[in-house]
Amino acid sequence: MSKWNPKNGRVILHVDMNSFYASVEAAYDPSLKGKPIAIAGNPEERKGIIVTSSYEARKKGVKTTMPLWQAKKLCSNLIVMRPNFERYRKASKEMFNILFRFTPFVEPVSIDEGYMDITECEEYGSPIDIANQIQKIIYQELDLPCSIGIAPNKFLAKMASDMKKPNGITILRKRNVQEKLWPLSIDHMYGVGEKTALKLQEININTIGDLASANRAQLKQLLGINGEKLQDRANGLDKRAVDPESIHRFKSIGSSQTLPYDTVEVQDIDRLLHTLSRNVANRLSRKDAAGQTLQLMIRFHNRKTITRSKKINKHIDKEEEIFVHAKILFEENWDGTAIRLLGVTVQDIITKEQMVTQLDLFSYQEHQEDEKLYEVMTHLKDKYGDNIIRKASFNEKRKFDLKTSFQKDFLDD
Amino acid sequence: MKIIMNRDRLIESVQHVMKAISQKTTIPILTGIKIEATETQVKLTGSDSDITIEAVIPKEEEGIILIDEIVPGSIVLHAKYFPEIIRKLPNEMVEIESDDKLQLSIRSGHAEFHLNGQDAEEYPHLPLLQSDSSFSLPNDLLKNMIRQTVFAVSTSETRPILTGVNIKVEDDHLHFIATDSHRLAARKIPLEVDQANLSFSQVVIPGKSLNELNKILEDTDEKIEIQVGENQIAFQAEHLYFVTRLLEGKYPETSRLIPDQSKTIIHADTKTLLQSVDRASLLARESQNNVVRLETKGNEVVEITSNSPEIGKVEEEITIKGMEGEDLKISFSSKYMIDALKIMESDQVKIEFTGAMRPFIIKPVDNDQILQLILPVRTY
Repeated sequence: MSKWNPKNGRVILHVDMNSFYASVEAAYDPSLKGKPIAIAGNPEERKGIIVTSSYEARKKGVKTTMPLWQAKKLCSNLIVMRPNFERYRKASKEMFNILFRFTPFVEPVSIDEGYMDITECEEYGSPIDIANQIQKIIYQELDLPCSIGIAPNKFLAKMASDMKKPNGITILRKRNVQEKLWPLSIDHMYGVGEKTALKLQEININTIGDLASANRAQLKQLLGINGEKLQDRANGLDKRAVDPESIHRFKSIGSSQTLPYDTVEVQDIDRLLHTLSRNVANRLSRKDAAGQTLQLMIRFHNRKTITRSKKINKHIDKEEEIFVHAKILFEENWDGTAIRLLGVTVQDIITKEQMVTQLDLFSYQEHQEDEKLYEVMTHLKDKYGDNIIRKASFNEKRKFDLKTSFQKDFLDD
Repeated sequence: MKIIMNRDRLIESVQHVMKAISQKTTIPILTGIKIEATETQVKLTGSDSDITIEAVIPKEEEGIILIDEIVPGSIVLHAKYFPEIIRKLPNEMVEIESDDKLQLSIRSGHAEFHLNGQDAEEYPHLPLLQSDSSFSLPNDLLKNMIRQTVFAVSTSETRPILTGVNIKVEDDHLHFIATDSHRLAARKIPLEVDQANLSFSQVVIPGKSLNELNKILEDTDEKIEIQVGENQIAFQAEHLYFVTRLLEGKYPETSRLIPDQSKTIIHADTKTLLQSVDRASLLARESQNNVVRLETKGNEVVEITSNSPEIGKVEEEITIKGMEGEDLKISFSSKYMIDALKIMESDQVKIEFTGAMRPFIIKPVDNDQILQLILPVRTY
């Protein structure tokens, strides 16, 4: 039991790298230091957008997701760079390795941020000492800046790390919530997106403090279970544990959509099933994953909702495969009444690296063209380990899709 | 109708015909057992219209009186109650009597049951098998051939023909072949002279039928008569008649899919290999086809491994009797391997591989009547 901590509380750090991609570039080429840098997707195309930028660029008003031309208007000497994912991935790995020196309870959240549970890390000093050490080591070894939040739970740690940037260390205790958190505008709250913020503002919740004292029933009606969760957080409560495995776990991928009008038209339904199947297939492909169970959700015009699932004898990941199974499930479970919403989810997901294919007597020859390649790969893996090589098709060029593909899939290899 | 007879023999015969009865049949009367008594025997019939089983209890067998008293007649009884009642009767003798209102009385010791029956005239007339092609096999050989193949039939209806065992006459041999397309089990026996002019070339018997047949056939060397018809096949044992429909459709030609050359040959002790694969399978995940990996290590050792990152891993080296050809690493379903090794009938097996992504063959070292083929698993 740590002498710095309440007996049954925990100490959580949130480590947040400051303008990560731009900082990595500046560490790689020190001549860029102190200059306005922006990383943009497709800078050669006119519709390129800013993915991240250095603090120097931010001072001039450059913002993430801003179109390139607009950013250049604001900051004429802006240095625009293409993303170097390999560099970022490597830096990210090294950064997490530093965190792991202190505790195995590190939960990577994305390529540039993670939580740590340092409750049991007394041997390295007080929480603030540990945060100082981490910040210093990351700076000395990787030449990268970060901000760290120290708090009794994940939510407060996340809010704290956001308070001082760059290079900040902020402690946020539960007793500081009223003073430090409540005055903040509601859209500054982690977990409140644009849409949620608008909904909350409509019922006159404009600050985190307003949310903390709002009518719970009303919140639940407005936002469902998430409303209650957000209110707890506004009061400084968050029970989620730091889970080192969470990044590796995705058990299902789904997509659902409400129809613009209730329908019994097979054409409309098929079109929607196709769209949903395509969404799911795209997300599976980004994760190099496939799943073995298909779940279909049908909401009828009267809001009655059913979910039906079935196990498939192979892993599926292609739009057509998903569609076919979704369609079969639909036909088995549709009573002909008007439909409001459909959802398609693929469950029992594994990554293709874990996947195996049972060859088939009548079709195994189709795999023969891969045989030589397969032998070479097996040989290399045995010699140098599993990460040495894999088929390019599993890592097909990913569309640069902010926050969904790269930032979440950074630990995939 | 009135029958006074030994209870144990009746239980046995009832259990046999019960194998054909399904509560899910579309013809309600088929949920019942038909009992027909003549002067010399009592015949029980059960059927789900795919399979029909008749069991005969003669009045007298090898000088032993099985039935003390028979008054001819017939009735159909509900298969849910009749077998349970007979099984739980207090006395070793049972008296069964029906009146003209289809009421049945079952008496044994001081217990007396009254059951409602149905008119035997309403029981469907099951089509008689028309066949001029018949042959016979010893019971125990037929049971073996079933046991060595039927486990490999497909359980999926995606290719219905594969849910059956293909039985064919070719090259003076009788062949049993089953495959679910991931593994194949084949057994053959040379035909005897009197069977050589069989007029059928091939049929496909539902795997389910063969499983039921295997359960009720006694493991003796008595001969069973097999009649092959157009749509049905019948097995006639001494007091048992089993007829099943055949699967329609063409069974795929499998012989050309079986590799005739190999790159790596392993000779191994059947039990050692079986136990090692069985151990490795403890850590193989069912969702991942229960994959285990085999890797040759020189001429005398193979390594069997399995690795499930979230569970753990296992490695075991086993000594083999010898290896010829190239080194090899191959992954396959432990379940298929275990199934195949279990029916080998030989202490030593020979495994012939042609590459990590091609089917491999397991045979006993001392005969070529048993062949098991397994398709490997491809890892990425």
